[in-house]
Formats: sequence, structure tokens, C-alpha cells
Amino acid sequence: MAAQPKRGGVSLPERRSASKPESSILARITSSPIFSRGKQAACDAAFASKKLIRSTGKAAWIAGTTFLILAVPLIIEMDREQQFGELELQQASLLGAPSTASANK
Amino acid sequence: MAGLVPPGIPAVPADVSHTAHTKHDEKTDYMNLPCPIPYEELHREALMSLKPETFEGLRFDFTKGLNQKFSLSHSVIMGPTEIPSQSAETIKIPTAHYEFGANFIDPNLMLIGRVMTDGRLNARVKCDLTDNLTVKANAQLTNEPHMSHGMFNFDYKGKDFRSQFQMGNGALFGANYIQSVTPHFSLGGEVFWAGQHRKSGIGYAARYETDKMVATGQVANTGIVALSYVQKVSDKVSLASDFMYNYLSKDVTASVGYDYILRQCRLRGKIDSNGCTTSYLEERLNMGLNFILSAEIDHRKKDYKFGFGLTVG
Repeated sequence: MAAQPKRGGVSLPERRSASKPESSILARITSSPIFSRGKQAACDAAFASKKLIRSTGKAAWIAGTTFLILAVPLIIEMDREQQFGELELQQASLLGAPSTASANK
Repeated sequence: MAGLVPPGIPAVPADVSHTAHTKHDEKTDYMNLPCPIPYEELHREALMSLKPETFEGLRFDFTKGLNQKFSLSHSVIMGPTEIPSQSAETIKIPTAHYEFGANFIDPNLMLIGRVMTDGRLNARVKCDLTDNLTVKANAQLTNEPHMSHGMFNFDYKGKDFRSQFQMGNGALFGANYIQSVTPHFSLGGEVFWAGQHRKSGIGYAARYETDKMVATGQVANTGIVALSYVQKVSDKVSLASDFMYNYLSKDVTASVGYDYILRQCRLRGKIDSNGCTTSYLEERLNMGLNFILSAEIDHRKKDYKFGFGLTVG
């Protein structure tokens, strides 16, 4: 029988009778050494990429929490210091000009 | 901060017009070197920047001055405390206690006492007998037997040297000496003998400081080598780094940190080679009212400690 297996589904490889001299194309492909090596390479790649994603995730977590602890308060405080400095400058220019004008008179 | 005593009077030839002499041309007068800082405060700048008192939980401090010299303080501390355990896991037990303290501060005499609700008493006395001789005493009493200890220190301050002799309970004797070698560089050494543990040790220390930086190094025969470097980048910012190596137990720790002293707050942050980062913020909310936040993350042991507090007075 030259019945082809269903496409897009998992199906058992068709039973090959012992007396049959020739096998189907797909069965020949799946049993070739190139195919098995390719399958092994795909498994290895999936394993390595899973590990890479996991370690990148861990590194991102450590970097993110360390940045949160070390740098975020610093940025907030430097911003506040700058605002405070601007406010003082504004107040000094507001109060300074009239007093010097009155001193000059 | 690196409080620098100005260098001594330079021994320059009696030239009436000193216009040609810049600071670099002044010869160092080895008879008039400044007095070095005390031996136990050798790493003072690095300790202040890199080791803030991080805590976990709530901390509330209230200090009330009754007099110009006398003040009382009340403290409430609540939070988990770590119990040292042999296994890798950290065991934390929630504790809460109240601490009452009294301080008497005079130019010549300083008395500080603290007593806690779990029965611990802490007392410190510092007395300036003469201009050069100081006596200090320190005692810690606890309920548990054999855990109380006390120590006496006698300090003598010379023109360009300092020496100290220590006596503690458990037959602990120690002496140290530090001498200014140039206006910026000072060297010192210490010896101690612990009778109870039959141990003795000797150590050497060196400190080089200028207006902008302080570098210190300390070696002891207990196996500790400690180096530190603090650079004052501007009058608000200083960066510090610290390296500690124990050549007997092959233990290495290096840390880098910053110290920002702004008008409204003081922020100290540090990262360690043990995978530990800490940050300590003291924010001035109002006159005499400080808000404290402390964070410590240990990535290796997965131990996270966060605390907040308020300091009044």
C-alpha cells in the first residue's frame, strides 16, 4: 500500500511489511541520518536558548533591583536638590533686587 | 569629613617678600607636624561612607535636652533580629524593645548611659584629666552570664603622636601608637594580648591624607589586611572604596560606595563583592526631624532587609 500519512498531524509511521522492497519517501526521510542529526541540533538549541533566557532573566532581575536601590533615590534627591536650588535663586532674586535698590537710594 | 590640621610653620629663609613662595615651595618643618587622628579612627572616612547603620524594621529615636549639658533619649526599635546560625539559612526572630538613655556632655567630661527593656545596660565615660591625658571607660552588662564586658582606655596625646593603653575584662590588654611622619602621612602600630583566649597580636597601620583624598592601610597578624581609599569629589559628594583580605582564611571582600551630603538629605550607597548592596537615606523633613530609610539586599543569600525610622531632636 502506498498510503501517505496525514499531513500536519502526529501519526504513527505506517507499518512497513517485511517483504516490501521499497518504503515511502517520508519514511525514508525520517530515518536518514541527516534528519536525526538535525533533530538533535534543534533539541540542543532549544535547551540552550531556554537556559539563556533564564540566566538573562536572572541578570535582569539583579541589575534591576540593584539599580532600584542604588540609583533611584540618588536621582530623586538630586532632582529635589536642583529644584531647591532654583527656588532659592528665585527667592534671592525676588528679595535681593528691592533691598539693593533701596540701599542704593 | 577629612578634617585636616594645617601643616606646620615652614622653615623658609627669612625673606621679606614671600611672593615667590607658593605652597609647593614650602619646606616641611619636621618639628611642627600636625597631631594625627586616633588609631581606632584610622578608617574613619571610609567607615562613615561605606558602613552606615542599616537596620530592619522600625526605629524611632527621641532626644530631649533638659539643659545645655544634659539630655535624655528614648528609643523604640521593632523588627526581626538575626540569630547567628551554623546553617546557611538566616534565622530571624521578631523582637521589639525600648531603650532609655541619658547623656551628660561637658567639655571635659562625657557620660552616656543606655538601658534596654531586655536587661542590657551600656555605659560610656570619657574624661579629660589634663590637656593631653584622657581616660575612657566602656561597659556592657547583660542578663546572660559571662556576656558582660568592660574596658578602660588611657590616651596620651603628644605634639605629633598619640598613644593609648587598653585594659579589659578577661585579661585583655592592648596598646597602640601613631605618629605623624610628614604633614600628610602617619604611621602607627598596635599590640594586644587576650588572656582568656591565650591570643596575642600585632598590627601596623598607615594613613595618607590630603585635602581631596584619604588612603589608609592596616595589616595585622590575625591575618587581616584592610585597605581603603576615599576621594572627595566635591564638597557634597565623596566616593569610597574598601578592600579587606584575610590571608589565613582566604576571605576577600571589596566594596565601592558613594556618599552624597546634600542640603536636605544624606544618601549613602554601597555595592559589595559578596553580592550585597545597601543604601541609607537620612532626609531632613523639618528642623530637628529626620526621616531614615535603610535598604540592604543580599543577592547571594536572598536576604532582604528594609527599615524606616524617625529621629526627633
